[in-house]
Amino acid sequence: MKTDRLRAINTPRRVEVELGAAGLPVMVERRAVESMGEIWRIDDEWWRAPIHRRYVETILEGGKHVVLIEDLTTGEWWVQKP
Amino acid sequence: MTRTPHLASASAACCWIPLFALRCEAARRSEPGSPPQPGALLSPEDPRRLWQVSPLARHAGVKPGMTVSQAIGLCAALKLYEPDPVHYDEQFARLLAALAHVSPVVEPTELGLAYVGTDGLEGLYGAPQRIVEAIQLRIAECGLRIGNSRVESAIHNPQSAIRVGWGRGKFVSWVAATRARPGEAVIVHPGVEGKFLFFQPLAVLPLDPDTHRRLRQLGLKTLGHLAALPEDAIVSQFGRTGRRLWRLAAGLTAEPVIGRPTPEPITATLTFFSPVAEREMLAHALDQLVARALRDPRRSGWRVQVVRARAELEHGASWLVEATLKDPTADRERVAAPLKTRLEQAPPVGAVERLAVEFTAFAPGTAELQLFARDASAAARAGRRRALTSVAQEIKLRLKRSYLYHVIEVQPWSRLPERRYALIDYEP
Repeated sequence: MKTDRLRAINTPRRVEVELGAAGLPVMVERRAVESMGEIWRIDDEWWRAPIHRRYVETILEGGKHVVLIEDLTTGEWWVQKP
Repeated sequence: MTRTPHLASASAACCWIPLFALRCEAARRSEPGSPPQPGALLSPEDPRRLWQVSPLARHAGVKPGMTVSQAIGLCAALKLYEPDPVHYDEQFARLLAALAHVSPVVEPTELGLAYVGTDGLEGLYGAPQRIVEAIQLRIAECGLRIGNSRVESAIHNPQSAIRVGWGRGKFVSWVAATRARPGEAVIVHPGVEGKFLFFQPLAVLPLDPDTHRRLRQLGLKTLGHLAALPEDAIVSQFGRTGRRLWRLAAGLTAEPVIGRPTPEPITATLTFFSPVAEREMLAHALDQLVARALRDPRRSGWRVQVVRARAELEHGASWLVEATLKDPTADRERVAAPLKTRLEQAPPVGAVERLAVEFTAFAPGTAELQLFARDASAAARAGRRRALTSVAQEIKLRLKRSYLYHVIEVQPWSRLPERRYALIDYEP
């Protein structure tokens, strides 16, 4: 095995999100948010490229379980498997 | 079991191949002409950590025991190998079998390190230099696959990887081997042991890290420094261990090489209730008998080299087949395979009343061999690996790439999920 062929697993994917009044997602890629679980924040790697993220555990319409990530620096939303 | 007399020898030749497992692995995967690369072998017990590290990787700061992620952080071009202890054992068994041709007294200590008792060999070979040459020649001829062209090495053929030391007792011969250049030998003639040991570093002693640190804090750097102190002073500081270390450093201890007697033939037999002629049933019985013979405690630490199947047939006839295994093994399927082939090619001429499997010759293993290749589970692991390798090669042949991946932990502690695991190409 060669380290230059390492591929990260479960990398976040960029998504279009529609936000509600509380600033939380109500639609993700044209699918309604059915319910929300935990919400947490991670601030890390301040010593190089700082990471500031808000994670929202979400169940989408149809039962799909995902974790939505808000990049608090750029305002972009990403999705990741739980 | 009857045992041969105790095998011991005061004079010793130490054969040492540093980074034996890594060399075996690199040799197996070598591609002629490719440039040298830093490499490391993953630990068989904990695949997140490194076991053996090549000199180029070490130069980049990579050390044995580091986690994969630490090592990758230090050396991005590091080539990682998954360990295959059964293969290393097989290669080491070859080396031991070659050494056993020179002397019946062979003591394996760890993978890549074995002592050969040389008492009484002067009559056969002559001076110690000639004995050492005979050992080097045997090793060169045994087909050991530890050459290394892809992962960097100063050594490009098997015999040049081996360092040999000769002296009175195992310790002197070990120190001599550590002083030898790759492919060469250092001989310490009787009577000059003290002089030879005087300037050697303390690190050649069998020290635990704490004792090593304490000795260095006392300002002791060489065996000469240690031996110059009164024995009682060392004993009062370090107890029994101190006495042993002092005596080794002073050249007063000559631990003999202790060989192991080869087991007597191991036999497993089966008497059928009624004579059996069906080949499938006989093949199944051979499998069972091989498995039973392998479980014999006398076989532990030895690999089967010659296997024989005997059958007593109806009307007093008999059937006998024998196979010599090119690579001695403790794997049931590999031991039974040649017997089953012969059963197909030249079956018994009548129904079998009694069937026996006999192991008649063995190749020595090591302590690690017993650890890794302990019979059923190790054989199963080796079998699974072979099957996987074969399938992966077929996929690669058809699709030009293996398309198989292996999940490794990179930063399992990371708060960011995508940093925790990664996929790497699986190339068995």
